[in-house]
Amino acid sequence: MKCKSRILGSMLVTTAALAAAGAAQAQDKALKIYGFGAKSGVVGIFGQQSEAAMQAAANIINKAGGVTLGDGSKARLVIEYLDDRCNAEEGINALRRIASQNDSIVAIGPTCSNVAEPVFGILQKKVGDSSDSGIQFPIYTDVAAKGGLASISQWSFRNVPSEANMYKSIFDWVKTSRPELKTFWGGVEKDFAHSNATYGVMKKQAADNGLEVKGQSEWLLNDINFSNQVREMKRANADVVAISAHPFTTCGVLKEMARQNVKPKLLIGLTSSSSMETLQGCGAQAEGLVIPTSFAPVNDNAKSAAAAIQAINPKYNMDLHNAAAYENVFTLKDLIEKQKIMGRPDTLQADRQKMREALAGMTQTNGLLGAVGRTGDREAVKPYLFVQAKSGAWVVAHTPAQ
Amino acid sequence: MDLLDLIDLTQSVLDGVLFGATYSLIGIGFTLIFGVMHKINLAYAAASVGAAYLSLIVVSHVPVPVVYLVAALMGGVLGWLVYLICFRFLPLSNPLATLMSTVGMLLAIEELISHLTQGMPMNYPAMFQSANIEIGSFFIRGDLLFVFLIGCVAMVGLTQLLKRTRLGLATRAVAQQPVAAQLCGMGINSTNASTFVIAGLLGGTAGAMAGAAIGVLSPLLALPLTVKGLVVTVIGGLGSIPGAIVAGLIVGGAENLFQFIRGVSERDIYVMLLLFVFLVFRPGGLFSPPGGRD
Repeated sequence: MKCKSRILGSMLVTTAALAAAGAAQAQDKALKIYGFGAKSGVVGIFGQQSEAAMQAAANIINKAGGVTLGDGSKARLVIEYLDDRCNAEEGINALRRIASQNDSIVAIGPTCSNVAEPVFGILQKKVGDSSDSGIQFPIYTDVAAKGGLASISQWSFRNVPSEANMYKSIFDWVKTSRPELKTFWGGVEKDFAHSNATYGVMKKQAADNGLEVKGQSEWLLNDINFSNQVREMKRANADVVAISAHPFTTCGVLKEMARQNVKPKLLIGLTSSSSMETLQGCGAQAEGLVIPTSFAPVNDNAKSAAAAIQAINPKYNMDLHNAAAYENVFTLKDLIEKQKIMGRPDTLQADRQKMREALAGMTQTNGLLGAVGRTGDREAVKPYLFVQAKSGAWVVAHTPAQ
Repeated sequence: MDLLDLIDLTQSVLDGVLFGATYSLIGIGFTLIFGVMHKINLAYAAASVGAAYLSLIVVSHVPVPVVYLVAALMGGVLGWLVYLICFRFLPLSNPLATLMSTVGMLLAIEELISHLTQGMPMNYPAMFQSANIEIGSFFIRGDLLFVFLIGCVAMVGLTQLLKRTRLGLATRAVAQQPVAAQLCGMGINSTNASTFVIAGLLGGTAGAMAGAAIGVLSPLLALPLTVKGLVVTVIGGLGSIPGAIVAGLIVGGAENLFQFIRGVSERDIYVMLLLFVFLVFRPGGLFSPPGGRD
């Protein structure tokens, strides 16, 4: 009897040990999602926040059991983020490095449009074109916002809002809700691709909606003196002033406007400035600034995503850029499961191909503000709203019908 | 050009000249170190911006003048650290060694600021912001006048320090005849370190004044201030303190003038052309100091 129970006991111990080893093995299995963008340098906040958002999403997925691979096993999602310093050459190097890894099936990034453009340029233009030796690697961009970039290669996809739609909508709204506003003046950061391209959109939409475009002031990303530009603005005395610039120069211009007592009836800003950076740099002067954005913590999903990134680092805030990185990780998790990605070195090229096909086949994804539509040229149609700076915080000014 | 354009042009130049006071302050620091060690400290403007950032630690607890004072003190500390890391133990006979070490330090400080602040622009307090003077159609910013005044005080103070104190005597002696100065009992290292601390005190003030003039601090400030500081130093005359003041005002005024006439995308071409003209026709700068006996 004693011997029998000893045998039974040792069997139980062995079974338990084997089960534990199996669980540990499953837990050890990892699938990597790469990211790349500006993590250092003067716009390093974009990459730091994107990485944090990707990590926050991966933590939630891993807590819920991870991702199911093609063989039915579970794997943890691991995030690895490379720094390109918002420099085209370093962005290309980052992509080449990622593509040379035997565990890379997809990447999220980059953060800067001036990097995205050449990076997409070294990808294979047309899938299956044997005469094109471009890199065959799927990229799902979160931040780089310049219009139409995904059309460069069939391996590039984006989850960024359409600024053309957003600014069309904001000027439509101005026309209907503020008919007394008649004139427009622009301010543009001339040497930054995104600011410059978006200013073109703002100017066109202002004119299309009946505002008289009286002119524009121009400055550079590194400028520190804005007296000339603001004096031009003062002389124009326009009802609407739109500033297409990133937070540092937006704040410089807003402070100079306060000094020269330039008070337009409506101030419109660049999407990228709808962040805490602007409020921290010049909250008082930004009072009333209206900006279209594809993220605001207005529902439970968005609120919990904002809390998740703060759990990574309390200094980080969710904005339209890193919200896209967060959404991308969840979308990729679904696609990995749907396409039965194996995540093994011997299936690497097939996995990349499957990821591309899955990304190309998307008709709709889940966004934090609601369903995100997809276009034929691999861009996103994201829901958006207008936020306004009020007492040092961004509050929802208007949610347009979409 | 109608009257309105003429008024705008004059106002532009006036604004530029006043804003040039911040360039002057940075230029003085470059020129002071060059005058003593015959070396360029490319990390100077970055350290100045760093000092202004450090002063933000006390911004919510003390009045604005104390914030500026803290910036100056932090500038002194950073100046000494830059000396220690980039100059003290490097072969001074090799001009490239210190040049490269200060380039490295510039990038390191800029990166450190970016990481510690997540690259966020920080609000910086200004004095006399609303004390603007309006004369007819013209408008003079009170805060920039204050910066200009600080620049003048710095120039007078430094000149007196160099002419009337033992430290100044040692500094001039080391600058002119380092071996003879050492034989007379003057410590070369301590004199150099003191120069860096003094330049750093001034740099901290310059960083604070630049922050106050713009209203915002950002890591983006380090590079343009470095470039402007170097241009001012060359135009003013390497080693000349009054030269740095005058050249700062000239560069500020010229910058705004060219911007008014040719636009922002061509502005810097003309400023660099001005530098080129000086290098070719007056390489010693506006106030070339008398050379040493060597």
